[in-house]
Amino acid sequence: MTDENHSPAEPSEMEVSEEHEHDEVSATEAGLEESGFAEKKKIGVGFWIAASWLVLITFLAIFAPVLPFKEPNQNFIVFEQKENPITGKIQDRPVQPPYSPNGDHWLGTDQDARDILSRSIHGARISLAVGALTALFGIVVGGALGMIAGYFKGILDKVISAIFLVSLSFPGLILAILVVALVDRSLITISITIGILAVAPIGRLARAQTLSFAEREFVLAAETLGAKKSRILVRELLPNVLIPMSTLAMLVIAIAIVAEGTLAFLGLSVQGSSTWGKLILTGSGLQTLESSPWVAFAPMGFLFLTVASFNYMSDRLRDFFDVREIFVTRD
Amino acid sequence: MSHETETPSTLLKLDDYRVGFRTERGLAKAVDGVSYELNSGKTLAIVGESGSGKTVLNRGIMGLLGSNINESGSVKFQGEELVNTNRQKFWGKKMAMIFQDPMTSLNPVMKVGKQVSEPLRLHQGMSRKEARHRTVELFTLVGIPEPSQRFDEYPHQLSGGMRQRVMISIALAIEPDLLIADEPTTSLDVTVQKYILDLLVEVQKESNMAMTIITHDLGVARGRADEILVMYGGRVMEHAPAETLFNEMAHPYTSALLSSIPKLDDPKHTRLTPIEGFPPDIVDGPDGCKFAARCQYAQENCLSELPDTTVKGDHSYACFYPIGTDEGAKAFASNAERGHTAAGLKIRAKEEVI
Amino acid sequence: MPKAIKRLIGLSCLLIVISMITFGAMNFLGDPLFNILGPVAADVDNPDSVKIIEEAKAQYHLDKSLPERWARWAWDFVQGDFGVQFSSSGQPPVSNLIKERLPRTLELMAVAQLIAVALAIPWSVLAASRANKRTDKVSTITAFAFVSIPSFAMAVILFYIFSIRLDVLPDVYNATDSFWGFTHDHRLIQLILPGFTLGLGAAAGYQRLLRTDLITTLQEDFILMARSKGVSKRRVLYYHALRPSLFSLITLLAINIGYMIGGSLVVEQYFRIPGIASAVVEATLREDFPVVLAVVMIISCGFMVFNYLADFLYSVIDPRIRTEKSGQRRKITSMGM
Ligand SMILES: Nc1ncnc2c1ncn2[C@@H]1O[C@H](COP(=O)(O)OP(=O)(O)OP(=O)(O)O)[C@@H](O)[C@H]1O
Ligand SMILES: [Mg+2]
Repeated sequence: MTDENHSPAEPSEMEVSEEHEHDEVSATEAGLEESGFAEKKKIGVGFWIAASWLVLITFLAIFAPVLPFKEPNQNFIVFEQKENPITGKIQDRPVQPPYSPNGDHWLGTDQDARDILSRSIHGARISLAVGALTALFGIVVGGALGMIAGYFKGILDKVISAIFLVSLSFPGLILAILVVALVDRSLITISITIGILAVAPIGRLARAQTLSFAEREFVLAAETLGAKKSRILVRELLPNVLIPMSTLAMLVIAIAIVAEGTLAFLGLSVQGSSTWGKLILTGSGLQTLESSPWVAFAPMGFLFLTVASFNYMSDRLRDFFDVREIFVTRD
Repeated sequence: MSHETETPSTLLKLDDYRVGFRTERGLAKAVDGVSYELNSGKTLAIVGESGSGKTVLNRGIMGLLGSNINESGSVKFQGEELVNTNRQKFWGKKMAMIFQDPMTSLNPVMKVGKQVSEPLRLHQGMSRKEARHRTVELFTLVGIPEPSQRFDEYPHQLSGGMRQRVMISIALAIEPDLLIADEPTTSLDVTVQKYILDLLVEVQKESNMAMTIITHDLGVARGRADEILVMYGGRVMEHAPAETLFNEMAHPYTSALLSSIPKLDDPKHTRLTPIEGFPPDIVDGPDGCKFAARCQYAQENCLSELPDTTVKGDHSYACFYPIGTDEGAKAFASNAERGHTAAGLKIRAKEEVI
Repeated sequence: MPKAIKRLIGLSCLLIVISMITFGAMNFLGDPLFNILGPVAADVDNPDSVKIIEEAKAQYHLDKSLPERWARWAWDFVQGDFGVQFSSSGQPPVSNLIKERLPRTLELMAVAQLIAVALAIPWSVLAASRANKRTDKVSTITAFAFVSIPSFAMAVILFYIFSIRLDVLPDVYNATDSFWGFTHDHRLIQLILPGFTLGLGAAAGYQRLLRTDLITTLQEDFILMARSKGVSKRRVLYYHALRPSLFSLITLLAINIGYMIGGSLVVEQYFRIPGIASAVVEATLREDFPVVLAVVMIISCGFMVFNYLADFLYSVIDPRIRTEKSGQRRKITSMGM
């Protein structure tokens, strides 16, 4: 990916020697392998496993209300015949929740005897929605800005690139906390806040792709035929920019889900509804964790599988389509 | 350095040595049955076009090809069988190799002096100071100006010629019994080439080690090597003492090679005749002689049968129709008559027939 | 070195812009007067309140225009005066809070980065030296898993395993304990769990980059050359191959040091470490803007400094950089979280 306009300050985009196609080659015995013959690129089974999980969880999330899951907010208190210590009578007395996983509650219940499986599935609704909205916002805004910068160049490019640069140097999570604390904690606010942070990386990629495609024959041909600029942008360039952008967007979804979880864990996420981060928080106290670890670990499993799947698919796709931008996912 | 007596002892003995790379398309037979012997104190030149398997052969002998290969036949070094064994114990002690490309063979982030003194420190138990002293000595020997200053420079600060001299210093520091120099002079200009080659030969004679020089260039071999081995498509085409080879050249490939390459000592503007065509596919190659498709002498049987190696004293070659024999002359005449060889190659207008 | 100076100027501009945005956002989205005075600020009909409001406005320059207020703040900031905290109990200077809390966060990050690098290097070397063998494949999957565990989840997992189940590591952080020492009453040991929480994920991220770069380096001729000199495999890996492979790692390290603050938000919260990250959460919730602003600026400055240092480190690692530009480059982008 070329980037001609290196401005003097580029903190989050420093330059390192180019990465080669190394993964196909084995380099055992400390370099005693000559570069072998590169295998054909394969997307691998892992990709399809990850994709299946995402399809499954998305399906469950969307149709959770009509699927035969338990009511997520209902308290399923179990009663048992026990002697009342005061009166000495045998009577129905509630068993202290949380209940461990059993035939009725596959993943157990939380402290309020609510079904964790059902809550995790319902939690997926919020977490996935945040991820999807964020990515959408990032692709639409970042893609548009990046393509405009890359296609029209000049002053427009300078301004947009500067915006990207500032955005990339910002301590993002703190910005997110600030906005969420100052504005509100609605799904939309949170998604847009995280989405704003995704604009710059996606936009940069779109810009770089546009720059490289704008010089290709098919674009030049369309230009000489007198096609309108807007038409060229949409018809000729967009399809080529979209693929690399969406590989990055998958990663953005993963990051957004984690970011939302982090906010939730800090008590700052979507009000009223339970997200994965909140569910984990519920179970993360010393006592609950000690006596009933499933309360935290069950939703964590959902979160992990989903984040890992998005990460992995994005990684495979970028490898497959040769998108050579290293993208940092860690805090 | 060899501590053996002057009586020539066989240091290296190859017998039907083969190396194949396991690739997706199948086994790439880069070395396809090579046999020769090399004595201490002798220099062997291995000559051949690009891709003929010179580097693979010698890296194979050294055991530097990694694990993705099939190796067979026999390589005996000081009487010990090497094939399919780990040769690590010889590295840096008894065997050394000067790599083909001095630009990529030196560690870019390590001072060149350190790279030379490393084997001294590791294998000869020298102290840092001794090693530095010896390195500067070696630098002086190979003709690096301001040697003690150069010690602390990085490869990118040196010219190609200087880097190659550093590579040679590394090899000399090791004081090996067998030194393999893989095209030690390709990237250098002519005067430097000569200097370095002569230097290598001089050191080799002095220390009585055996040396293999790999080159494209028969001219380089002449006068420096005791023996010359001509390779093509992973096979030995011709092998003879240097002067014998030039005087009694038998293989059409050797002859074609000689006329295709500018020689160090050529007068300017000598006409060159490139060899037409390309080296054979080594995965799915021809059944017969590897050179048949490009040979002016090729007959039908060359395409289907592999010629046996003919041995005449210390001269051997693998050809049905060697130059300078009746068969050869007849074969060429018949090709000239029909205008093309058995492989369909057009016959060039004629001067190089002896 | 004009290039270095150019870069320095660029970084400073960036800092200025970041401070303007943060400053503007807080004044736009929040209501500083309300934060200082509480409900009184809205009581504009009461003459007593109005007087208090006027006084407060004058004291905090709230009657001035936004650019002027920013300029005043910036001028103070470069002189080390971060303003005062908005709080009901007096107005302690922000710098007191920073002085008290920043060292704790720095300690945490130092421990975390040390753990991360100490794990990542041997891990990458092992994986690269067995590239595409079983060991490597397992390690790649492990790295993927670690990268995909958010720090809050990692905190819960490690806490559960090491503190609750195995009961080998302390889970209480006591800011008054001394740092250096090896019992549960020393902060060094108390920081192990939080440090691993941040460090494991970071290590996995570093491993992914370093392994890739090492594999590329291991295919270079000079590695083979070193082997043929009789240098042991181990020495070749650590002495010859590692150094020229460190570029991406340094880049990521610089980015990460700046942004690990993001991760430490959660970790400080979960392990109850009163550091700067938890200060920022508290301050945000109280809408104590001078604190937020100061912390944002400190993080950004740290980020810039480390990026600047990274440039310098490149040239230490690779002497070629000092004289010439090396061929193709690659980019590392982060979303800042
Ligand atoms: N690692 C490898 N895997 C597969 N094939 C290889 C490998 N290394 C070399 N070859 C093939 O082996 C053949 C011989 O290569 P080699 O490098 O020995 O040629 P060479 O005679 O040294 O040529 P040059 O004069 O250009 O150095 C070539 O066809 C090459 O493509
Ligand atoms: Mg070669």
